Order: sequence, then C-alpha cells, then structure tokens
Amino acid sequence: MKAVLVGQPNSGKSTLFNAVAGYRSLTSNFAGTTVEYTQGKARVDGETLDLIDLPGLYSLASDNPAACSSREFLFQHDWDVLVNVVDASQLARSLELTLELLDLQAPLLLCLNMMDEAARKGIVIDAKALAVALGVPVRETIAARGQGVVETFRTALELHRQRPFAPPIPLSYGPELEIVVGKLAQELREIRKGTTGDAGTNPTPWSVDSRPGALAKDRDLATSTAEAAGYPSFPPARFEALQLLQGDPNWLTRLGPERAATVECAQTEITQHFDQPPDVVVSSARHAASLNLFELVARVTKPRADWREQADRLLMHPVLGYVFLGLVFLGFFHLVFDLGQIGETHLMALFNNFIAGLGHSLGEHSVRFALARGALLGTAGAIANVLPYLVPFLIGLAVLEDAGYLARVGYLMDVAMHRLGLHGTAMLPVLLGYGCSVPAVLATRILPSRRDRFVAACLAVLVPCSARMTVIFALVGFYLGANYALGIYALNLAVVALAGNILTKIWPEISPGMLMEVPPYHHPTLRVVLLKTWWRLREFVIIAAPLLIAGSALLGMIEFLGWERFINIGLSPLTKLLGLPSAVGLTLVFGVLRKELSLMMLMQALGTTQVASVLTTGQILVFTLFVTFYLPCLATLAALAREIGWRLTAAAATVLFVLAITISLAARGFLSVAL
Amino acid sequence: MKTVSSKRPPLTLYQARPESTLKVLAISGGWGVRRNLNEVGVHVGDSIRILRRAPFGGPLMIESHGTEVAIGRQLAEKVKVDVIR
Repeated sequence: MKAVLVGQPNSGKSTLFNAVAGYRSLTSNFAGTTVEYTQGKARVDGETLDLIDLPGLYSLASDNPAACSSREFLFQHDWDVLVNVVDASQLARSLELTLELLDLQAPLLLCLNMMDEAARKGIVIDAKALAVALGVPVRETIAARGQGVVETFRTALELHRQRPFAPPIPLSYGPELEIVVGKLAQELREIRKGTTGDAGTNPTPWSVDSRPGALAKDRDLATSTAEAAGYPSFPPARFEALQLLQGDPNWLTRLGPERAATVECAQTEITQHFDQPPDVVVSSARHAASLNLFELVARVTKPRADWREQADRLLMHPVLGYVFLGLVFLGFFHLVFDLGQIGETHLMALFNNFIAGLGHSLGEHSVRFALARGALLGTAGAIANVLPYLVPFLIGLAVLEDAGYLARVGYLMDVAMHRLGLHGTAMLPVLLGYGCSVPAVLATRILPSRRDRFVAACLAVLVPCSARMTVIFALVGFYLGANYALGIYALNLAVVALAGNILTKIWPEISPGMLMEVPPYHHPTLRVVLLKTWWRLREFVIIAAPLLIAGSALLGMIEFLGWERFINIGLSPLTKLLGLPSAVGLTLVFGVLRKELSLMMLMQALGTTQVASVLTTGQILVFTLFVTFYLPCLATLAALAREIGWRLTAAAATVLFVLAITISLAARGFLSVAL
Repeated sequence: MKTVSSKRPPLTLYQARPESTLKVLAISGGWGVRRNLNEVGVHVGDSIRILRRAPFGGPLMIESHGTEVAIGRQLAEKVKVDVIR
C-alpha cells in the first residue's frame, strides 16, 4: 500500500514521515532528474506501508520546482491513498489545497497536524464536522510528539481496503461558476472519448473497485459536475476544467494548442459574468469555500498570550534584531570553534601516540606500515579533525532551523540580500550552504524564478560548507588562532557579495521579491534535532569517512611506491605559483572528492600532524584559501548540474578555479609584505 | 464595483503604517503575482494586519488568517489597500 504525504510547506509532513519511518527502516532519497521525494517504509498493525513524502506545495497550480515534482508524482506515478497533512493552526488557508485534492476524487485522508499549535492560537476545530463536510476521514495529530500518528496510518490502511471505494465528492464553488466548469468538463469528457476511444476514462493511480454504483449520491454538492458514471477517471474532468480555467500553462500544453479555443471560450464567459479575470474568480471561489468551511467547523477564541510575540518584538526589532543576529552568529561560531578545538586536541594526541606505537611494532619502512599509517591518518582525520567541529555545527544549525529563527534571518537580511541581487527568501539556501552545499543547492528550489535559483545556487556553493569549515578550523583556527579563521569567513563574505554583484550585472534581478511565510517559534525538540543532525552526519559517516580512510591509505601506498612525484611534478606550476611545497599538489586532487580529504592528505603528504612545523603561517593561509574556493566537491557539482545544467556548472567551476587562484595569489602577495 | 470607503486615494500596502488593519482592494501585476499572494493567504477582499517593517526599505511582516508572512517591497507596492483602522 502506497500512502502519499501531500501538504503545504511546513505543515509537518516530514515530521509525520520520520515519526513512523525514521528509525524503523531505511529511507532513501530518490534522485531522479527533477523529482526529489523521500520514500520509506513503516509497519502499522503488522502491515507494511510504503510512504512517500512529497515536497510541500501551496496549490496544485504552483509552479516552483518543488511543487512541480510533487505534481509530477501525483499525476504520473501509482499510489493508493493521499494523506493531506495540514497545519491545523493555519486551517483556513490550508483547506484551499484540501479542496483541490478533493477535486481529484481519490482516496483521501485529512491529517490535522500541530493541534497543540492550533490550541495555542485559540483555534478549536470540530474534526467530526469537518469529516462530514468534506466526506473524507479526518485525524488529529501532534506529529512532533508522535501523537495520533499510528491512528492516521491505520485510517489510511482502512481507506485503502474500503470496498467499494466511494470517491469523495468535490465541494461546490458556487452555482454560477459550477455551470461554466460543468460545461467545460463535459467538453473535456467528449475530447477524451475521442482520443482514448473507450468510455473516456483514464486509469487511476490507485486500484479501483470495478463494481458500478460506487458513488454516494445523496449529497447536495457538486454532484452534477462529479464524474458521471461511477468510475472515476483520472484526473477528473472537473479538476482539469478548473485548472484550465485558471490558465495553468501545464494543463493547456497537455490539452494541446488546437483545443485552446474551447478553454478561451469558457474563460471569456467567466470574465463577462464576473467582471474579473478567470484565475481570480476560481481562486476567490475556492478561497471563499475554504473560509466558509472553516467557519462551519472551527471557532476562534482568544489566543494564549505567550513569549512568542515578545520574542519577535525583540528578535525582529529594527535595531536590536540585528544586534541579536550578530550575537547569535558570533556565539555559534565560537561554540563550534571552542568545542571543536578541545575535541581535536585530545583526539589528535591519542592518534599520534597510537601511530608512533604502530611504527615501532610494524617497522617504519614496511608496506604494511605505509598502508596502516595511511588508513589510520585518514581515520584520525575523520574522527579527530572533522567530527569535533561537524557535530556541534550540525546540532546548532538544526536548533536554529527547528526553532524558526532562520526564517527571521531572511526577513532581517532582505535588504542586504538585495545588494547581492537576491532577496530574503534566498537567505535560507545560502545559510544552508554553511552546512553542506548539496542540500543548499537543492533548497534553491523554494525560489520562484530560474534566475534567482541560479544566483542563489552559485552563492550557496561559494560559502564554505562544513567540510571546508573543518579545513579552516583545523588548519587555520587550530594553528593560527580563531581570529584568522574569522578573517577567512569575513573575506569569503566579501567575495560572496562581489560575486552576487557581478552575477546581477550579467543577469539583472527581475524577480518580484520576497514572499515568505514566517513560521511561529517552536521549542526545538531533542528528537527532531538529533534526527536532523544524524541525517546530515550519516552522509559523512557512510559516504565521506570511508572515502577519507581509503583515500588516505591509497595516498600512503602512492607515497610508498614513490609515485606521488609524477602527480606533484604535473601540478608543480600551480603549487609553485601559490608558493606551496610541491608535496601538497596531490592533496588538491583528492580534495575534489571531499574537501576534508585535502586536510587529511596534507598531513599524510607532509608526513606529520604537526602542520605548523612544516608550513609557514602564510602557506597555511594560502593553502586554506585555495581549498576554500577552488572547486566544489563532486557531489556538489552533480547537484549543481541537476539544478542549473552542465554547461552553467562547468562555467561556474571554471570561474571558481580562476577566482581561487586570484585570491590565493593576492593573499600570498599581501602576506609576503605584511608578515 | 470600484468603491473606496475613505476619501483618500487607495494606498499601496507598502505605504500603510505598521500595526494598522487593512482591506485588500486589488492586486496588480500578473497571474503569477496574484497566485503567489493567494497561496500565502492574501486575497482581494481579505483583511490583513501589518505587524512590523524592516528598516532601509526592507520587507513588511503581515498577518493574514493567522499566517505571518514577510513580503518584500516590490510585492507590497503591487497590493492596493484601504485602511480599516
């Protein structure tokens, strides 16, 4: 049984998903060409459910890439039950998507999530009345605490087993509009009959009971426009008619240009009758229907006053908000740096002792020692150099994200982002870039325009991700001090600003600007924070760490055989140019796989973990700057290629390489004068 | 159909004062602008409230049907409003 979680952004679909599929079984990210949904399995009452967590969408007519991939899934894949996850505290607005889903006449279940948040806002919902009005089951949940989750999926199973399946009946959008919609739907049915040759029914994504008469008939709603015969055809003609009336280009293309006249005719009829464009008429009608339904099933009482409003008064204050923002990021930086340094010192000492002992017992010049030493240095790098910084960073990021502060940062930074040719919404992908470039590039999908996505992706790749952060912290921070590390971050910000300006010159900003929902603050729950941290850490532990260890061992072998000379000679023009020892040439090659590898390889190539004894201050800085900028890692390049295309990715990579050389050379020149 | 209850010409959302309650009269701009605003719960005829504004021509924070939305200057200038109070 395939259950699809569909809902508006930030309604808690993924929380619901993780509540049942999070630990129990493996979850994989499907990386299709444009599709990016999460699939998992859950066991409920001894039955295995396939769960699909779709990216959030406000409406089935949305055109941002996340919404498109959701829509593509709904209309091109097989599934059995739709679970519409709704933020109960935003019920009035959320019902608009619910009504659209109802128009699909598919097995549908409404999940009222965040009931605690609704109660806080003083919204009292009569779930039974809502279920009656919509004709679909309604379940109440608080997914973050796991409440009502099992019941929800149990209901989904029951819905799937229901025989005969009685498709839900769409709510009427008012008699005047329904007449036009009904006429267009009838014409669409005729067209379908003509093209498919049978009774004009398309197969549905779910398995349908073939017995006729499965429709409930006694409801005074839009029965006249519901699918006539009793077999739902997918998508129902009424649904398609509504999308077409709204002027959705996707459905127009699907219908074929030669039939556009039919739609235009209906649109003209609406414009004449309502004196407004048809898209406004349809969305207003749906809006009105949602509000009516909301008033029917919900009461709004006085919201509980609490710290949240006070917090926003301070955190979004025109002056204090920025002071606080600065403090948060400085505090964050220091927390990560201080904790990381303590961890790195102690763990590194441990590994050094161990490697020295190993040299004694295996013999300094044996193949076994070369291999073991390489592998151990890689392990040491992963555990002692990377984890001490990565873990506090990921926990901090998850806390800020989960608490709802990142959206506020977008609001505060909107003006500054306009200087970069972007707007506040783009702050989120750029901030995520400090974690890992891959999700940051994917997060650009929340931006509506292609141009904004391109610019945001470029900038998100340019900011140092946590892998580069570990290079900066473990090299520059550890050997030269925190201020040098901060200096690199400041320089990076300046470069990001410059890059934003240049990109805007090439491709001017035309987007309508920021439009972003600001979610209420949540107490970050330990479970969600740990789960998020683990998901991000998992990628490092499972993919990167073995790569680091194997790469390091490989390098140990290459050195033992003396082959590194050839690679280093090949790269010597570059290393000479940067004033670095030729031994680091090889590390830069490995850095393309994972940025941390450059760090590990550096220690391996120099034959010591005491980097400062071999490299000068200037060399450490130049090396780190070059690693920070020169090329994104392979995973990022692949993500970029998927989002912005190979040609633009290749261009961006070339520009970055030139940029890295320029910056490193400038730094080298400056330092030779200054130091 | 175009009646404005106050004597003043209609304001844009961007010109309205913080903490005021407003009625949305019209949304200019194309199909996409209207749809995007509709999606976050701003429709013609809705009453919305301005919570605060960011300095230096920054965005507004508004509340509509219990949803808080940050809305940038260019978009806010496309929304015609009437002050209710």
